Amino acid sequence: MEETIIPKTSTVFATLFRADMATLISNRRSAIISLFVPLIVLFTWKGLIKHVGGPTVLATAIAIGLIAIGLMGYTLSVARDRDKGIFQRLRVAPVPTWVIMTSRICVQLVMIAVLTLVVFIVGYQYDGVLLAPLGYVITFFIAILGATVYLSLGQLIVGLIKGFETINAVTRITYIALMMVGMFSTFFENQQLKEVVRFSPYGCVKMMLAASMEPSKAWAHDANIAVLCSLGYIVVFAGIGIKNFQWSSK
Amino acid sequence: MAVEQDKYILKVEGLHVNYGNVVAVNNVGFDVLQGEIFGLLGPNGAGKTSTLSAIEGLIKFKEGTIIVNGQSVSEKPLHARASMGVQLQSTSFQPELNVVQILQLFSGIYGVPMSKDKIKDTLKDIGLEDASAKKFSQLSGGQQQRVSLVIATIHNPRLVLLDEPTTGLDPQARRQLWGRIEAIRERGHAVLLTTHSMEEAESVCDRIAIIDHGRVIAVDTPQALIDKHRDDPEVIAVSRRGKITLEDVFIGLTGSAVRA
Repeated sequence: MEETIIPKTSTVFATLFRADMATLISNRRSAIISLFVPLIVLFTWKGLIKHVGGPTVLATAIAIGLIAIGLMGYTLSVARDRDKGIFQRLRVAPVPTWVIMTSRICVQLVMIAVLTLVVFIVGYQYDGVLLAPLGYVITFFIAILGATVYLSLGQLIVGLIKGFETINAVTRITYIALMMVGMFSTFFENQQLKEVVRFSPYGCVKMMLAASMEPSKAWAHDANIAVLCSLGYIVVFAGIGIKNFQWSSK
Repeated sequence: MAVEQDKYILKVEGLHVNYGNVVAVNNVGFDVLQGEIFGLLGPNGAGKTSTLSAIEGLIKFKEGTIIVNGQSVSEKPLHARASMGVQLQSTSFQPELNVVQILQLFSGIYGVPMSKDKIKDTLKDIGLEDASAKKFSQLSGGQQQRVSLVIATIHNPRLVLLDEPTTGLDPQARRQLWGRIEAIRERGHAVLLTTHSMEEAESVCDRIAIIDHGRVIAVDTPQALIDKHRDDPEVIAVSRRGKITLEDVFIGLTGSAVRA
């Protein structure tokens, strides 16, 4: 019997990641569009900086960008590849299934890193918002945590819904709803509604981001609660999404 | 589970596959020998693709044993998968990747990295040296099948599984693909293919199994099956040219009713 070659997991991951990055670069137009809304926030909210503060504007821009990438990018790419049978082709190879998904998630995290950097640069150049070095570092990691909330929400959607067209519609509606809440919740007058939004997935991410930009000044009890809520959302969404996920849409 | 490998590359025993309450595969068993092309024939919904999917590890089976190159599919799935090459019925690759990127992806996944020269030689061998920069979706059906077969055999597997590999191909492309399948056999490796083409089964398969309603109802060489069933009244009744063909035997055994 010939010896069976099982490729190293690290080699398989590197290969998949390269292919997934090549796919992302090929789709650069949609990647650029996902940076569009955060930039609009930065440009149009310049006048609000003196009322709500620079960190809140940057936090809003990043939080909305995270929805576009974490929710839309991940969910639609997974739904499309499942629908086209691309996952099935990968699954018949000696590849652990978690490696396939980890590669997908890492590509989205790269996009999130790019988004965060773009918001920092444009925020400084156009809005004149400058953070302390520690603020940049902590915000970067909180953006990854925030993105994980939306990736897990995306996993929930692809776990519970099989058809690509339905997923497409549900994801877009969720995106628009979260974006509208993000853009306009500042102006809500109903206090109960404001509290619901504050501790919703969007609210928690925004609260963590705003606090992380000025960690010594703004990180308080509410930010700790937001971290715990976010971790809770991730566990629940990802848990249900992974448990119900099917690799084929047939 | 290590198994003596002298006789077979694939052994399926007592396989049961259910989809909820629907029994798709019911106590299926067969083996595929070294250097053999084995065909799995059956009407639509007979259980061919479910059997193949269980071997590929794409679906969990309820009962049974599947051994590929000495490795149990359920106990050592990665080892079993590393020993087989697979061409799925509707093969799809990332539409954004070109042919070279697809080859790089799968050679990396199977742990057999290819240099640029090796990729060039491989593409030349399948007549696609000018299509290296094309996306998979831009290739013709025949070209796509050639790329799929190259990827299925990129790691020189002991067992190659082909699910209806010639569906939709013109006669020239089909003949060429048969040649490539026979070349796999000549290297001493085994091929398990499903097909609806009796011509294909007679031309390239050393042995065939006819499967219907989830059960294997006959296993033998195409000629032996014809010889064995040529006097069956059901086979004679469906014969059209006065000469009994494999198709007559197939319809005689599985019935004339059109399946969904």
